[in-house]
Amino acid sequence: MSLINEITKGIVRENPLFRLVLGCCPALAITTSVENGLGMGAAFTGVLVASNIAISALRNIIPESVRIPAYIVIIAAFVTMTDQLMHAFTPALYTSLGIFIPLIVVNCIILGRAEAFANRNPIIPSICDGLGMGAGYTLALVLVCSFREVLGAGTFLGHPVLPGSSPAILMILPPGGFITLGCLLGFLNKLQKKSA
Amino acid sequence: MRDIVKLSLFLLTVAGVAAAGLSYVNGLTGPLIEKQILQRKIDGFKEVYPQSDRVEDESAKYLKEPHDPGLKEVNVAYRNGAPAGVIYAVESKGYSGPITLLAGFDLATARITAIKILNQRETPGLGAKATQSDFQDRYRHKSAAAALEVTRSVPTRENEIQAITASTITSRAVTKGVNAAREHFTAQFAGGKQP
Repeated sequence: MSLINEITKGIVRENPLFRLVLGCCPALAITTSVENGLGMGAAFTGVLVASNIAISALRNIIPESVRIPAYIVIIAAFVTMTDQLMHAFTPALYTSLGIFIPLIVVNCIILGRAEAFANRNPIIPSICDGLGMGAGYTLALVLVCSFREVLGAGTFLGHPVLPGSSPAILMILPPGGFITLGCLLGFLNKLQKKSA
Repeated sequence: MRDIVKLSLFLLTVAGVAAAGLSYVNGLTGPLIEKQILQRKIDGFKEVYPQSDRVEDESAKYLKEPHDPGLKEVNVAYRNGAPAGVIYAVESKGYSGPITLLAGFDLATARITAIKILNQRETPGLGAKATQSDFQDRYRHKSAAAALEVTRSVPTRENEIQAITASTITSRAVTKGVNAAREHFTAQFAGGKQP
């Protein structure tokens, strides 16, 4: 029961992007198409689950005083592996995500989960935590992407959905990212206030 | 003191294990990545100069003298053993990063055969439209003799290229790259010099 809880908390209650407001940089930069959002979410989830497993397995061995450098080395290794695997097997996605795959290293959600969860919980809950947080972040990215792609390019996953109208180019450009994320955060805060 | 040694040894081990994992993945993906980059280039060659039966990288021969820094490669396309066209690999600075493209020229007509964008990081929905064929086709059969110019309206002169709507910077960058190749082509090949 509590394992399911570990998964669902990342999707709704502690959604990394909408509730913890972590990992904003990629959420603003790559959310120009739904495909990017899915790709970034998948790469991110893979790295998060792998680093949660490693850090949870080593949690009793890693000395307290050097834990942060150790985490960073572990996370960086997984990110570099993901980067190379994506380059080899999904070249189109690799090109469109560009610099943001290596930048998963400094995505604060991953270090945040290592510090807040994986280093004090056993492996299985840590995997669940990683999956939940990854799914939550992916969903959040896809939501932001959907607004920006539909409004800014008139397409969804590359398929035209707004025939006959000219798309608002602003939504695809950086300001559109801030506007979308801001509106979504405000809307979700309002929802939460009502239900509380 | 003993603590420091212990801690450094621990970090050393972590880094060592990470490096071992990385070198394993690198060995696994390295050849695949290289093959893919090569394959993309060969496919690109076929698109910009379809009538060739063999393409040779002759950059060492043609890029000896000072040249436009954007020119990366000069490939000569052969047909029936004789040089028939030239394919340039060019890099140009776009709106949000480098744009790499191939530009093909025909030796007999001294015209552009086609261009192909290989890599770009332009804004999706705007500058990224440069990768679509209806933009790349605007360069087809343009003469290599005159510098190409970007125009925002419907082109009236032969050497004009219509820009992508709201993406003049990207259109200019692509045109600048094609022009660099065009100048080199005119100077090295079209002036009667045969490879």
